[in-house]
Amino acid sequence: MATDATQPRQTGEIEAALLACAAGDKTALRRIYEAESPRMLGVAQRLLKRRALAEEAVQDAFVLIFRHAGRFDPERGAGLTWIYAILRNRSLSILRDEKRTETSDTPIAEETASEEDDPETVMAKLSDASALRACLETLSPQRRGLVLLAFVQGLTHGEIAGRLKLPLGTVKSWIRRSLLSLKECLG
Amino acid sequence: MSPAADATSPEAIALAGEYVLGLLEGREREAAEHRLEQDISFATAVERWRRHFAALDATATPITPSADLWSRIEAGIAGLIQPTASAGIARPALATSSRFANWWNSLFVWRGAAFAGALASVLLAVGLFGALDRAKRQPLMVAVLLTEGNAAAAVVNTFADGRVEMLPLQSIDVPAGKALEIWTLWDRAVGPRSVGLIDRARSTPLRLDNLPLGNGQLFEITLEPASGSPTGRPTGPIIAKGTTSQRL
Repeated sequence: MATDATQPRQTGEIEAALLACAAGDKTALRRIYEAESPRMLGVAQRLLKRRALAEEAVQDAFVLIFRHAGRFDPERGAGLTWIYAILRNRSLSILRDEKRTETSDTPIAEETASEEDDPETVMAKLSDASALRACLETLSPQRRGLVLLAFVQGLTHGEIAGRLKLPLGTVKSWIRRSLLSLKECLG
Repeated sequence: MSPAADATSPEAIALAGEYVLGLLEGREREAAEHRLEQDISFATAVERWRRHFAALDATATPITPSADLWSRIEAGIAGLIQPTASAGIARPALATSSRFANWWNSLFVWRGAAFAGALASVLLAVGLFGALDRAKRQPLMVAVLLTEGNAAAAVVNTFADGRVEMLPLQSIDVPAGKALEIWTLWDRAVGPRSVGLIDRARSTPLRLDNLPLGNGQLFEITLEPASGSPTGRPTGPIIAKGTTSQRL
């Protein structure tokens, strides 16, 4: 499978930096930080909505990246994908924990997402060259909206159902079917 | 990619997709994470989804991080480089992030570890009760001090008569001229107080005297000069830490 054309970063650099991190080289972590932290903070901000929480997620992610760099296996995937998977996992954990212990009146999920994070706005920002965009376009706007709300804003099935006033079972089955259509299209 | 992935069932493909979308919670998510470790074709399916959806992460608007974010990360990893490695070779100068702010900020990193350690600490505490003299020595509160790698390094027990003790659970390599200092923190405004100094990992009573002691109170071990921290505050890397929990 070809690397997605929307990732114009030099492949190899991140992988090399991760290997150096595994050997305890903090300057290698710093290189990753310089290259990726603004984008990572943007991703965390879309999920967590609050700047302080987004920074916490990025902070935790870098410590985890350094701690687990030895487990990164270039045979099994790209370094950048690995880094963002850690960031997303950490962000989602904070998001779900926050919800459980939320004391403020506005749960994060109900906080207004920036218009920039609306499914169709995100669609428009997707690189024309990306296979994902071409395949998302084969779905109806409503169905791809469900997938995008989950990935971009970190909404759960229940939250998506509430937001779009759809039955929970419908949301679940539409997302599953959308994933299978996407898989068919992406190959 | 590998033909194995193509052989994956539609159920597994959809499940991998839901996992990458962040839609699995609780037990479902744990099961998927377990499968990710065990099942190569499932892992391949997850990696494919991640790679495709990476295009969406690339649409996020970059935000310049706060000026101190990097120093917080450095403080977080300073505690990682533990003096446990072989042969006592001089470690790359462990940036003694002596600033209290850094020290405090690094605590946030440990929050996840604390959750992960919660179950372990319950199990461990149960085990320890059995080892202790049951009649009188049941602690009121227990704190399991975890290393950054989530290994239980020591346990702190508090007793009804005011005694507090620390029992090591693993050996800790202490370089020459250094010692392990134990701290407690009950109020951020007051800051951490030293409650013990030992030359090597061994059981030791802790001197809390008239200091407050409550549920959720932090205990922590740092590496300090042999005569103790020169500043009265932790200056060296954090070896392990944890907070007290009330015994049931």
